[in-house]
Amino acid sequence: MAAEASSAARTPRDDSRDGMWLLIIWIALSVIGCLLVALVWGPHMPPGAQSSSAASQQTDITVLAVLATPVVIGVLLYLGWALAFWRQRPGDETDAAPIHGNTKVQATWIIGTAAIVLSLAVYGTIELISPAGAGAGEGPQPIWKPAGTTTASVTSWAPGTSNILQVQVIGQQWAWTYRYPQFGGFETTQLMLPVGEPVQFNVTSLDVIHSFWAYTLGVKADANSGVNNVAYTTPEHTGQFQVRCAELCGIWHGSMYNTGDVVPVADFVKWTQTTSTQLADVTKLLPPYAASYDPTAINMGKINAALGLTGAGGGFYNPADPEQP
Amino acid sequence: MSLPARVVTLVVAFLAVVAGGIFVAFEFIGAQPPVENYTSYAKGGQVDVTLMTTAQTTVTNKPDWVTYFIKNPNTGDFDHTTSFAVPANTRVNVTILGYDGCTPLRNPLWGKVAGTIGGVEDVAFNNGKTTSASQPLTTFDSWANCSIQHTFAIPGLGINVPVASPTTLAENNALCGTSPCVDATADQAKAPHSVVTFSFVTPKTDGTYRWQCFVPCGLGYVDGNGGPMATPGYMMGQMEVQS
Repeated sequence: MAAEASSAARTPRDDSRDGMWLLIIWIALSVIGCLLVALVWGPHMPPGAQSSSAASQQTDITVLAVLATPVVIGVLLYLGWALAFWRQRPGDETDAAPIHGNTKVQATWIIGTAAIVLSLAVYGTIELISPAGAGAGEGPQPIWKPAGTTTASVTSWAPGTSNILQVQVIGQQWAWTYRYPQFGGFETTQLMLPVGEPVQFNVTSLDVIHSFWAYTLGVKADANSGVNNVAYTTPEHTGQFQVRCAELCGIWHGSMYNTGDVVPVADFVKWTQTTSTQLADVTKLLPPYAASYDPTAINMGKINAALGLTGAGGGFYNPADPEQP
Repeated sequence: MSLPARVVTLVVAFLAVVAGGIFVAFEFIGAQPPVENYTSYAKGGQVDVTLMTTAQTTVTNKPDWVTYFIKNPNTGDFDHTTSFAVPANTRVNVTILGYDGCTPLRNPLWGKVAGTIGGVEDVAFNNGKTTSASQPLTTFDSWANCSIQHTFAIPGLGINVPVASPTTLAENNALCGTSPCVDATADQAKAPHSVVTFSFVTPKTDGTYRWQCFVPCGLGYVDGNGGPMATPGYMMGQMEVQS
Protein backbone atom coordinates (compact mmCIF):
# COMPACT_ATOMS: atom_id res chain seq x y z
CA MET A 1 0.00 0.00 0.00
CA ALA A 2 2.72 2.38 0.96
CA ALA A 3 4.59 1.69 -2.26
CA GLU A 4 1.52 2.32 -4.25
CA ALA A 5 0.89 5.54 -2.36
CA SER A 6 4.43 6.68 -2.99
CA SER A 7 4.39 5.93 -6.68
CA ALA A 8 1.01 7.52 -6.95
CA ALA A 9 2.37 10.68 -5.32
CA ARG A 10 5.00 11.32 -7.97
CA THR A 11 4.85 10.91 -11.71
CA PRO A 12 7.47 11.29 -14.43
CA ARG A 13 5.82 14.55 -15.23
CA ASP A 14 6.47 15.74 -11.70
CA ASP A 15 10.12 14.77 -12.03
CA SER A 16 10.39 16.58 -15.33
CA ARG A 17 8.80 19.66 -13.85
CA ASP A 18 11.16 19.56 -10.86
CA GLY A 19 14.11 19.17 -13.17
CA MET A 20 13.03 22.16 -15.20
CA TRP A 21 12.63 24.30 -12.11
CA LEU A 22 15.96 23.15 -10.76
CA LEU A 23 17.65 24.02 -14.05
CA ILE A 24 16.06 27.44 -14.24
CA ILE A 25 16.84 28.32 -10.63
CA TRP A 26 20.38 26.94 -10.94
CA ILE A 27 21.09 29.00 -14.05
CA ALA A 28 19.65 32.14 -12.49
CA LEU A 29 21.54 31.74 -9.23
CA SER A 30 24.73 30.80 -11.04
CA VAL A 31 24.61 33.90 -13.22
CA ILE A 32 24.01 36.08 -10.18
CA GLY A 33 26.63 34.23 -8.14
CA CYS A 34 29.28 34.38 -10.85
CA LEU A 35 28.71 38.09 -11.37
CA LEU A 36 28.97 38.74 -7.63
CA VAL A 37 32.15 36.68 -7.31
CA ALA A 38 33.76 38.23 -10.38
CA LEU A 39 32.76 41.84 -9.88
CA VAL A 40 32.27 42.27 -6.13
CA TRP A 41 34.44 39.68 -4.41
CA GLY A 42 37.09 39.31 -7.09
CA PRO A 43 38.80 42.69 -6.67
CA HIS A 44 39.24 41.90 -2.98
CA MET A 45 40.61 38.42 -3.46
CA PRO A 46 44.05 37.76 -2.02
CA PRO A 47 46.84 38.59 -2.52
CA GLY A 48 45.63 41.90 -3.98
CA ALA A 49 47.00 43.73 -6.96
CA GLN A 50 50.08 45.53 -5.69
CA SER A 51 52.29 43.90 -8.29
CA SER A 52 52.02 42.17 -11.64
CA SER A 53 52.37 38.72 -10.10
CA ALA A 54 49.92 39.50 -7.31
CA ALA A 55 47.36 40.76 -9.81
CA SER A 56 47.89 37.66 -11.91
CA GLN A 57 47.33 35.43 -8.88
CA GLN A 58 44.23 37.41 -7.95
CA THR A 59 42.85 36.89 -11.44
CA ASP A 60 43.55 33.17 -11.26
CA ILE A 61 41.85 32.82 -7.90
CA THR A 62 38.87 34.81 -9.17
CA VAL A 63 38.58 32.62 -12.27
CA LEU A 64 38.66 29.48 -10.14
CA ALA A 65 36.09 30.94 -7.77
CA VAL A 66 33.80 31.85 -10.68
CA LEU A 67 34.12 28.34 -12.10
CA ALA A 68 33.40 26.81 -8.73
CA THR A 69 30.35 28.98 -8.09
CA PRO A 70 27.86 27.07 -10.33
CA VAL A 71 29.11 23.80 -8.89
CA VAL A 72 28.62 24.93 -5.31
CA ILE A 73 25.22 26.43 -6.12
CA GLY A 74 24.17 23.28 -7.97
CA VAL A 75 25.10 21.01 -5.08
CA LEU A 76 23.47 23.19 -2.45
CA LEU A 77 20.38 23.78 -4.58
CA TYR A 78 19.92 20.09 -5.25
CA LEU A 79 20.42 19.31 -1.55
CA GLY A 80 17.90 21.96 -0.53
CA TRP A 81 15.39 20.86 -3.14
CA ALA A 82 15.70 17.24 -2.02
CA LEU A 83 15.21 18.18 1.60
CA ALA A 84 12.21 20.39 0.81
CA PHE A 85 10.32 18.39 -1.79
CA TRP A 86 11.74 14.90 -2.06
CA ARG A 87 12.06 13.97 1.56
CA GLN A 88 10.39 10.87 2.88
CA ARG A 89 6.92 11.59 4.19
CA PRO A 90 5.73 10.33 7.58
CA GLY A 91 4.46 6.77 7.22
CA ASP A 92 6.19 6.25 3.88
CA GLU A 93 8.55 3.29 4.33
CA THR A 94 9.08 2.44 0.69
CA ASP A 95 12.41 2.39 -1.04
CA ALA A 96 13.17 4.85 -3.76
CA ALA A 97 12.88 3.77 -7.34
CA PRO A 98 15.91 1.74 -8.50
CA ILE A 99 18.48 3.72 -10.44
CA HIS A 100 19.72 2.27 -13.69
CA GLY A 101 22.77 3.33 -15.64
CA ASN A 102 22.38 6.21 -18.02
CA THR A 103 25.02 6.32 -20.71
CA LYS A 104 24.29 9.88 -21.70
CA VAL A 105 24.60 11.15 -18.13
CA GLN A 106 27.78 9.18 -17.48
CA ALA A 107 29.40 10.29 -20.74
CA THR A 108 28.41 13.88 -20.15
CA TRP A 109 29.85 13.74 -16.63
CA ILE A 110 33.14 12.15 -17.65
CA ILE A 111 33.65 14.34 -20.70
CA GLY A 112 32.56 17.46 -18.86
CA THR A 113 34.79 16.99 -15.82
CA ALA A 114 37.73 15.92 -17.99
CA ALA A 115 37.32 19.02 -20.10
CA ILE A 116 37.20 21.22 -17.03
CA VAL A 117 40.31 19.67 -15.46
CA LEU A 118 42.32 19.68 -18.69
CA SER A 119 41.33 23.22 -19.57
CA LEU A 120 42.31 24.35 -16.07
CA ALA A 121 45.66 22.62 -16.50
CA VAL A 122 46.22 24.52 -19.74
CA TYR A 123 45.05 27.75 -18.16
CA GLY A 124 47.31 27.19 -15.13
CA THR A 125 50.32 26.49 -17.31
CA ILE A 126 49.74 29.63 -19.37
CA GLU A 127 49.28 31.64 -16.21
CA LEU A 128 52.57 30.31 -14.90
CA ILE A 129 54.46 31.13 -18.06
CA SER A 130 53.01 34.47 -19.14
CA PRO A 131 53.64 36.40 -15.89
CA ALA A 132 57.25 35.15 -15.74
CA GLY A 133 56.87 32.42 -13.19
CA ALA A 134 53.92 34.05 -11.43
CA GLY A 135 56.14 35.38 -8.67
CA ALA A 136 57.46 31.98 -7.64
CA GLY A 137 61.10 31.03 -7.31
CA GLU A 138 62.34 29.52 -10.57
CA GLY A 139 65.72 28.33 -9.40
CA PRO A 140 69.14 29.65 -10.46
CA GLN A 141 68.37 29.48 -14.19
CA PRO A 142 64.84 30.80 -14.66
CA ILE A 143 63.01 29.70 -17.77
CA TRP A 144 60.38 32.41 -17.80
CA LYS A 145 61.53 36.02 -17.62
CA PRO A 146 59.58 39.27 -17.82
CA ALA A 147 59.06 40.29 -21.42
CA GLY A 148 61.27 43.10 -22.64
CA THR A 149 63.84 42.83 -19.85
CA THR A 150 67.49 41.94 -19.89
CA THR A 151 70.23 41.43 -17.36
CA ALA A 152 72.60 43.59 -19.34
CA SER A 153 74.32 44.87 -16.22
CA VAL A 154 74.31 43.72 -12.62
CA THR A 155 76.44 46.66 -11.57
CA SER A 156 74.33 49.55 -12.80
CA TRP A 157 70.68 50.35 -13.30
CA ALA A 158 68.59 53.19 -14.62
CA PRO A 159 64.82 53.50 -14.57
CA GLY A 160 62.91 53.00 -17.77
CA THR A 161 65.51 50.76 -19.37
CA SER A 162 65.28 47.09 -20.22
CA ASN A 163 68.01 46.30 -17.69
CA ILE A 164 66.11 44.70 -14.84
CA LEU A 165 66.56 45.82 -11.24
CA GLN A 166 68.45 43.25 -9.18
CA VAL A 167 67.60 42.75 -5.51
CA GLN A 168 69.34 40.04 -3.56
CA VAL A 169 67.33 38.64 -0.66
CA ILE A 170 69.49 37.07 2.04
CA GLY A 171 67.89 34.95 4.74
CA GLN A 172 69.64 34.26 8.00
CA GLN A 173 68.49 33.16 11.40
CA TRP A 174 66.46 35.27 12.02
CA ALA A 175 66.34 38.27 9.76
CA TRP A 176 66.07 39.25 6.12
CA THR A 177 68.64 41.53 4.57
CA TYR A 178 68.65 42.92 1.05
CA ARG A 179 71.55 43.68 -1.23
CA TYR A 180 71.47 46.03 -4.21
CA PRO A 181 74.39 45.11 -6.50
CA GLN A 182 73.57 47.81 -9.05
CA PHE A 183 74.11 50.55 -6.49
CA GLY A 184 77.52 49.66 -5.18
CA GLY A 185 76.43 46.42 -3.56
CA PHE A 186 75.22 47.84 -0.28
CA GLU A 187 73.26 45.57 2.03
CA THR A 188 70.45 46.77 4.25
CA THR A 189 67.58 45.57 6.38
CA GLN A 190 65.19 47.73 4.33
CA LEU A 191 63.46 46.44 1.21
CA MET A 192 62.64 49.34 -1.08
CA LEU A 193 61.29 48.90 -4.61
CA PRO A 194 60.41 51.37 -7.38
CA VAL A 195 56.89 51.31 -8.75
CA GLY A 196 56.44 50.24 -12.34
CA GLU A 197 59.90 48.75 -12.73
CA PRO A 198 60.45 44.99 -13.17
CA VAL A 199 62.42 43.45 -10.32
CA GLN A 200 64.52 40.31 -10.20
CA PHE A 201 64.77 38.86 -6.71
CA ASN A 202 67.82 36.68 -6.14
CA VAL A 203 66.96 34.72 -3.03
CA THR A 204 69.57 32.86 -0.99
CA SER A 205 70.40 31.95 2.60
CA LEU A 206 73.41 32.08 4.86
CA ASP A 207 72.36 29.13 7.01
CA VAL A 208 69.24 26.99 7.06
CA ILE A 209 66.35 26.97 4.58
CA HIS A 210 64.14 30.03 4.73
CA SER A 211 61.40 31.13 2.35
CA PHE A 212 61.01 34.70 1.17
CA TRP A 213 57.31 35.47 1.05
CA ALA A 214 56.27 38.97 0.05
CA TYR A 215 52.61 38.10 0.31
CA THR A 216 50.91 41.12 -1.24
CA LEU A 217 53.55 41.28 -3.96
CA GLY A 218 52.66 37.71 -4.91
CA VAL A 219 56.30 36.64 -4.56
CA LYS A 220 57.43 33.51 -2.79
CA ALA A 221 60.78 31.81 -3.18
CA ASP A 222 62.70 29.40 -0.97
CA ALA A 223 66.03 30.63 0.35
CA ASN A 224 68.63 27.88 0.31
CA SER A 225 72.24 28.20 1.35
CA GLY A 226 74.51 28.10 -1.68
CA VAL A 227 71.63 28.46 -4.15
CA ASN A 228 70.32 31.48 -6.05
CA ASN A 229 66.54 31.20 -6.41
CA VAL A 230 65.25 33.78 -8.89
CA ALA A 231 61.75 35.28 -8.84
CA TYR A 232 60.27 38.19 -10.76
CA THR A 233 57.60 40.79 -10.27
CA THR A 234 56.73 44.34 -11.21
CA PRO A 235 55.31 46.50 -8.40
CA GLU A 236 52.32 48.37 -9.76
CA HIS A 237 51.15 50.41 -6.79
CA THR A 238 53.02 52.32 -4.14
CA GLY A 239 52.60 51.35 -0.51
CA GLN A 240 53.88 48.96 2.09
CA PHE A 241 53.97 45.20 1.98
CA GLN A 242 54.88 42.51 4.48
CA VAL A 243 57.74 40.09 4.10
CA ARG A 244 57.59 36.85 6.03
CA CYS A 245 59.52 33.65 6.26
CA ALA A 246 57.37 30.78 5.03
CA GLU A 247 59.73 27.97 6.03
CA LEU A 248 60.02 26.87 9.64
CA CYS A 249 63.59 27.93 10.32
CA GLY A 250 64.09 27.87 14.08
CA ILE A 251 62.85 29.34 17.29
CA TRP A 252 62.37 32.89 15.99
CA HIS A 253 60.86 31.85 12.66
CA GLY A 254 57.62 33.54 13.66
CA SER A 255 59.41 36.83 14.19
CA MET A 256 61.28 36.74 10.91
CA TYR A 257 59.36 39.41 9.09
CA ASN A 258 59.66 43.02 8.12
CA THR A 259 57.92 45.65 6.05
CA GLY A 260 58.91 46.63 2.53
CA ASP A 261 57.97 49.74 0.58
CA VAL A 262 57.05 50.37 -3.03
CA VAL A 263 57.85 54.00 -3.76
CA PRO A 264 57.99 56.30 -6.79
CA VAL A 265 61.05 55.80 -8.97
CA ALA A 266 62.57 59.15 -8.05
CA ASP A 267 62.24 58.36 -4.34
CA PHE A 268 63.81 54.97 -4.89
CA VAL A 269 66.81 56.42 -6.70
CA LYS A 270 67.24 59.00 -3.96
CA TRP A 271 66.99 56.30 -1.32
CA THR A 272 69.68 54.21 -3.00
CA GLN A 273 72.00 57.18 -3.08
CA THR A 274 71.41 58.07 0.55
CA THR A 275 71.61 54.51 1.82
CA SER A 276 74.68 53.73 -0.24
CA THR A 277 76.43 56.67 1.37
CA GLN A 278 75.25 55.82 4.87
CA LEU A 279 76.41 52.23 4.60
CA ALA A 280 79.63 52.86 2.72
CA ASP A 281 81.83 51.90 5.68
CA VAL A 282 80.22 48.49 6.10
CA THR A 283 79.67 47.85 2.39
CA LYS A 284 83.42 47.65 1.86
CA LEU A 285 83.54 44.90 4.49
CA LEU A 286 80.99 42.75 2.69
CA PRO A 287 82.16 39.90 0.49
CA PRO A 288 82.05 40.64 -3.24
CA TYR A 289 78.55 40.36 -4.60
CA ALA A 290 77.77 36.81 -5.67
CA ALA A 291 74.71 34.77 -6.49
CA SER A 292 75.15 32.92 -3.20
CA TYR A 293 77.63 32.75 -0.37
CA ASP A 294 79.43 29.90 1.32
CA PRO A 295 78.91 30.51 5.03
CA THR A 296 82.07 28.60 5.85
CA ALA A 297 84.25 30.60 3.44
CA ILE A 298 85.49 33.19 5.88
CA ASN A 299 88.79 34.93 5.34
CA MET A 300 90.48 33.49 8.37
CA GLY A 301 93.98 34.78 7.68
CA LYS A 302 94.14 37.52 10.24
CA ILE A 303 91.85 35.67 12.56
CA ASN A 304 94.08 32.66 12.67
CA ALA A 305 96.98 35.00 13.18
CA ALA A 306 95.33 35.96 16.40
CA LEU A 307 95.17 32.40 17.64
CA GLY A 308 94.11 32.16 21.12
CA LEU A 309 90.54 32.48 20.07
CA THR A 310 88.32 31.20 22.71
CA GLY A 311 84.60 30.95 22.95
CA ALA A 312 83.31 29.81 19.60
CA GLY A 313 86.18 30.83 17.40
CA GLY A 314 88.67 28.81 15.42
CA GLY A 315 87.52 26.71 12.55
CA PHE A 316 84.11 28.30 12.35
CA TYR A 317 81.18 25.96 12.05
CA ASN A 318 81.39 23.30 9.45
CA PRO A 319 77.86 22.09 8.73
CA ALA A 320 79.30 18.63 8.21
CA ASP A 321 80.45 18.50 11.80
CA PRO A 322 77.37 19.11 13.84
CA GLU A 323 76.76 18.34 17.44
CA GLN A 324 73.10 17.76 17.97
CA PRO A 325 71.57 18.59 21.32
CA MET B 1 40.05 -6.30 44.31
CA SER B 2 36.64 -4.85 44.84
CA LEU B 3 35.05 -2.56 42.31
CA PRO B 4 35.35 0.58 44.47
CA ALA B 5 39.01 -0.18 45.06
CA ARG B 6 39.59 -0.58 41.35
CA VAL B 7 37.84 2.70 40.63
CA VAL B 8 39.84 4.52 43.27
CA THR B 9 43.07 3.03 41.96
CA LEU B 10 42.21 4.06 38.42
CA VAL B 11 41.33 7.59 39.46
CA VAL B 12 44.47 7.97 41.54
CA ALA B 13 46.63 6.66 38.71
CA PHE B 14 44.95 9.00 36.25
CA LEU B 15 45.44 12.02 38.50
CA ALA B 16 49.06 11.06 39.09
CA VAL B 17 49.73 10.97 35.34
CA VAL B 18 47.96 14.29 34.81
CA ALA B 19 49.89 15.91 37.65
CA GLY B 20 53.15 14.56 36.26
CA GLY B 21 52.35 15.96 32.86
CA ILE B 22 51.49 19.37 34.27
CA PHE B 23 54.69 19.40 36.30
CA VAL B 24 56.83 18.56 33.27
CA ALA B 25 55.03 21.15 31.15
CA PHE B 26 55.51 23.97 33.63
CA GLU B 27 58.83 22.98 35.14
CA PHE B 28 60.72 22.03 32.01
CA ILE B 29 58.95 22.73 28.73
CA GLY B 30 57.31 25.99 29.68
CA ALA B 31 60.01 27.25 31.99
CA GLN B 32 61.13 30.74 31.12
CA PRO B 33 64.07 32.68 32.44
CA PRO B 34 63.17 35.36 34.97
CA VAL B 35 62.50 38.93 33.86
CA GLU B 36 64.72 41.68 35.22
CA ASN B 37 62.31 44.53 35.66
CA TYR B 38 63.89 47.96 35.23
CA THR B 39 60.64 49.86 34.87
CA SER B 40 60.66 51.30 38.39
CA TYR B 41 64.30 52.32 38.20
CA ALA B 42 63.92 55.00 35.53
CA LYS B 43 64.88 58.54 36.54
CA GLY B 44 64.57 61.64 34.43
CA GLY B 45 63.34 59.67 31.46
CA GLN B 46 66.36 57.37 31.51
CA VAL B 47 67.15 53.94 32.83
CA ASP B 48 70.44 52.06 33.01
CA VAL B 49 70.60 48.41 32.01
CA THR B 50 73.69 46.26 32.37
CA LEU B 51 74.34 42.97 30.59
CA MET B 52 77.28 40.61 30.56
CA THR B 53 78.53 38.03 28.09
CA THR B 54 80.58 35.05 29.16
CA ALA B 55 82.27 32.23 27.32
CA GLN B 56 80.55 29.62 29.42
CA THR B 57 77.56 29.09 31.63
CA THR B 58 78.89 27.38 34.70
CA VAL B 59 75.74 28.14 36.64
CA THR B 60 73.71 25.75 34.48
CA ASN B 61 73.92 22.22 33.19
CA LYS B 62 75.23 23.63 29.89
CA PRO B 63 78.63 24.83 31.05
CA ASP B 64 80.09 24.99 27.54
CA TRP B 65 77.40 27.30 26.20
CA VAL B 66 78.09 30.98 25.74
CA THR B 67 75.56 33.20 27.38
CA TYR B 68 74.31 36.59 28.41
CA PHE B 69 73.63 37.60 32.00
CA ILE B 70 71.55 40.57 33.08
CA LYS B 71 72.15 42.62 36.18
CA ASN B 72 69.37 42.50 38.72
CA PRO B 73 68.48 46.17 39.34
CA ASN B 74 67.46 45.37 42.90
CA THR B 75 70.29 43.19 44.16
CA GLY B 76 73.05 44.17 41.76
CA ASP B 77 73.76 40.52 41.05
CA PHE B 78 74.07 39.18 37.53
CA ASP B 79 71.26 36.71 36.96
CA HIS B 80 71.24 34.07 34.30
CA THR B 81 68.45 35.42 32.12
CA THR B 82 67.94 37.25 28.87
CA SER B 83 64.57 38.81 29.59
CA PHE B 84 64.23 42.32 30.87
CA ALA B 85 61.57 44.98 31.09
CA VAL B 86 62.02 48.70 30.51
CA PRO B 87 59.59 51.63 30.55
CA ALA B 88 58.10 52.99 27.34
CA ASN B 89 59.32 56.20 25.73
CA THR B 90 62.47 56.14 27.82
CA ARG B 91 66.12 56.43 27.01
CA VAL B 92 67.78 53.12 27.85
CA ASN B 93 71.48 53.37 28.60
CA VAL B 94 72.93 49.92 28.08
CA THR B 95 76.28 48.69 29.30
CA ILE B 96 77.54 45.32 28.10
CA LEU B 97 80.51 43.76 29.82
CA GLY B 98 81.97 41.46 27.20
CA TYR B 99 83.99 38.65 28.73
CA ASP B 100 84.01 36.29 25.74
CA GLY B 101 86.60 35.87 23.01
CA CYS B 102 86.05 36.82 19.41
CA THR B 103 84.13 35.02 16.69
CA PRO B 104 83.69 36.24 13.12
CA LEU B 105 80.28 37.28 11.92
CA ARG B 106 78.67 35.23 9.20
CA ASN B 107 77.23 38.38 7.68
CA PRO B 108 79.57 41.37 8.03
CA LEU B 109 76.56 43.68 7.81
CA TRP B 110 75.96 43.05 11.50
CA GLY B 111 79.29 44.73 12.20
CA LYS B 112 77.54 48.06 11.64
CA VAL B 113 76.07 49.84 14.65
CA ALA B 114 72.44 50.72 13.99
CA GLY B 115 69.47 52.05 15.85
CA THR B 116 71.35 53.62 18.73
CA ILE B 117 71.33 57.28 19.63
CA GLY B 118 73.91 58.88 17.38
CA GLY B 119 74.39 55.61 15.52
CA VAL B 120 77.40 54.80 17.67
CA GLU B 121 78.52 52.66 20.56
CA ASP B 122 81.29 53.53 22.97
CA VAL B 123 83.91 50.88 23.54
CA ALA B 124 86.53 50.57 26.25
CA PHE B 125 88.78 47.65 27.09
CA ASN B 126 89.83 46.32 30.45
CA ASN B 127 93.04 44.30 30.41
CA GLY B 128 92.48 42.90 33.86
CA LYS B 129 94.05 45.87 35.55
CA THR B 130 92.95 49.07 33.96
CA THR B 131 90.21 50.22 31.66
CA SER B 132 91.11 52.19 28.55
CA ALA B 133 89.45 55.39 27.53
CA SER B 134 86.15 54.88 25.80
CA GLN B 135 86.00 55.40 22.05
CA PRO B 136 82.94 55.87 19.84
CA LEU B 137 82.76 53.27 17.08
CA THR B 138 80.29 52.75 14.26
CA THR B 139 81.63 49.76 12.33
CA PHE B 140 83.54 46.60 13.15
CA ASP B 141 85.43 44.38 10.72
CA SER B 142 85.04 41.02 12.37
CA TRP B 143 86.71 39.16 9.53
CA ALA B 144 89.89 41.14 9.46
CA ASN B 145 90.31 41.97 13.10
CA CYS B 146 88.14 39.41 14.84
CA SER B 147 86.94 42.29 16.91
CA ILE B 148 83.50 41.03 17.80
CA GLN B 149 82.41 38.43 20.30
CA HIS B 150 78.63 38.78 20.03
CA THR B 151 75.99 41.24 18.96
CA PHE B 152 73.01 42.68 20.75
CA ALA B 153 70.31 43.14 18.15
CA ILE B 154 66.62 44.00 18.40
CA PRO B 155 65.47 43.54 14.80
CA GLY B 156 62.01 44.94 15.50
CA LEU B 157 63.53 48.27 16.49
CA GLY B 158 66.35 48.27 13.95
CA ILE B 159 68.93 48.06 16.72
CA ASN B 160 72.21 46.26 16.13
CA VAL B 161 75.19 46.62 18.43
CA PRO B 162 78.36 44.56 17.96
CA VAL B 163 79.93 43.63 21.27
CA ALA B 164 83.65 44.20 20.98
CA SER B 165 85.95 41.44 22.15
CA PRO B 166 89.18 41.72 24.15
CA THR B 167 91.95 42.54 21.76
CA THR B 168 95.07 40.53 22.32
CA LEU B 169 96.20 36.96 22.37
CA ALA B 170 97.13 37.27 26.00
CA GLU B 171 93.75 38.57 26.90
CA ASN B 172 91.98 35.85 24.96
CA ASN B 173 93.96 33.22 26.76
CA ALA B 174 93.01 34.65 30.11
CA LEU B 175 89.29 34.80 29.74
CA CYS B 176 87.07 34.52 32.72
CA GLY B 177 86.47 30.84 33.38
CA THR B 178 83.51 30.96 35.74
CA SER B 179 80.32 32.76 35.06
CA PRO B 180 79.10 35.30 35.86
CA CYS B 181 82.46 37.04 35.86
CA VAL B 182 82.03 39.05 39.01
CA ASP B 183 84.00 37.34 41.74
CA ALA B 184 86.77 39.43 43.13
CA THR B 185 88.98 36.40 43.40
CA ALA B 186 90.74 33.97 41.12
CA ASP B 187 90.80 34.61 37.39
CA GLN B 188 87.61 36.60 37.16
CA ALA B 189 89.14 39.62 38.77
CA LYS B 190 91.91 39.60 36.17
CA ALA B 191 89.79 38.63 33.22
CA PRO B 192 90.08 40.98 30.28
CA HIS B 193 86.85 42.26 28.87
CA SER B 194 85.28 44.97 26.80
CA VAL B 195 82.93 47.61 28.11
CA VAL B 196 80.36 48.56 25.49
CA THR B 197 77.89 51.34 26.13
CA PHE B 198 75.12 52.69 23.97
CA SER B 199 71.68 54.20 24.28
CA PHE B 200 68.37 53.90 22.52
CA VAL B 201 64.85 55.14 23.09
CA THR B 202 62.06 52.68 23.71
CA PRO B 203 58.77 52.88 21.78
CA LYS B 204 55.92 54.92 23.18
CA THR B 205 53.61 51.96 23.49
CA ASP B 206 53.74 48.58 25.17
CA GLY B 207 55.27 45.70 23.32
CA THR B 208 57.55 42.72 23.51
CA TYR B 209 60.62 42.75 21.33
CA ARG B 210 62.88 39.78 20.81
CA TRP B 211 66.59 40.30 20.76
CA GLN B 212 69.35 38.03 19.64
CA CYS B 213 73.02 37.63 18.83
CA PHE B 214 73.93 37.49 15.14
CA VAL B 215 77.31 35.89 15.69
CA PRO B 216 76.90 32.15 15.04
CA CYS B 217 78.30 31.31 18.45
CA GLY B 218 76.54 28.01 19.04
CA LEU B 219 79.79 26.08 18.90
CA GLY B 220 79.40 22.65 17.41
CA TYR B 221 75.82 23.06 16.26
CA VAL B 222 74.69 23.15 12.66
CA ASP B 223 75.66 26.49 11.17
CA GLY B 224 76.58 27.64 14.68
CA ASN B 225 73.00 28.68 15.28
CA GLY B 226 71.79 25.91 17.57
CA GLY B 227 72.28 25.41 21.28
CA PRO B 228 72.70 28.72 23.05
CA MET B 229 71.70 30.63 19.90
CA ALA B 230 68.30 29.00 19.93
CA THR B 231 67.59 28.81 23.65
CA PRO B 232 65.96 31.55 25.73
CA GLY B 233 68.26 32.57 28.52
CA TYR B 234 71.50 32.29 26.56
CA MET B 235 72.06 34.21 23.33
CA MET B 236 68.55 35.42 22.70
CA GLY B 237 65.78 36.88 24.77
CA GLN B 238 63.01 39.39 25.01
CA MET B 239 62.69 43.00 25.98
CA GLU B 240 59.33 44.02 27.36
CA VAL B 241 58.37 47.65 26.97
CA GLN B 242 55.86 48.72 29.61
CA SER B 243 54.04 52.01 29.92
